[in-house]
Amino acid sequence: EQQRFSYRQRLKAAVHYTVGCLCEEVASDKEVQFSKQTIAAISEVTFRQCENFARDLEMFARHAKRSTINTEDVKLLARRSNSLLKYITERNEDIAQFNLER
Amino acid sequence: MEETGAGFRKELVSKLLHLHFKEDKTKVSGDALQLTAELLKIFVIAAIRSVRQAQAEELGCVDLDQLEKVLPQLLLDF
Repeated sequence: EQQRFSYRQRLKAAVHYTVGCLCEEVASDKEVQFSKQTIAAISEVTFRQCENFARDLEMFARHAKRSTINTEDVKLLARRSNSLLKYITERNEDIAQFNLER
Repeated sequence: MEETGAGFRKELVSKLLHLHFKEDKTKVSGDALQLTAELLKIFVIAAIRSVRQAQAEELGCVDLDQLEKVLPQLLLDF
């Protein structure tokens, strides 16, 4: 139980670190400062959002009678916003192209 | 595909997802992991940008109030 908890905390810390880096990147071109609490809150929201993502992805794959989640499932996650779906579809093609060349 | 700036590492995304899977046999393909990492990054950037926008009138420090205001719309979009 204790081990599970500390594993979660470590993953949270990793998410927090990445969110911090992204905040810095976005903030650097604008004269905006983000408070530590705001960065922590965005990290927490992101960490929780991962749970929704994971559950949905697993169900989408099962719906298609697969146990391996593929990029079609991820595209289905991005279905709610047109611009998001368009962007994710383009990135998917980039990734596929890149991996093909390698 | 060039790696520009910060982003989520594939290993981290994999661990985050596996934390919440109901079944042990569920796996994620490499491409799907990369794409999920991209989606997570967009989620975070959308959060950051909307917070910034929410306080566009006021100058200074972005705080929790702004995040609370933009959160419902953000979660509707994802």
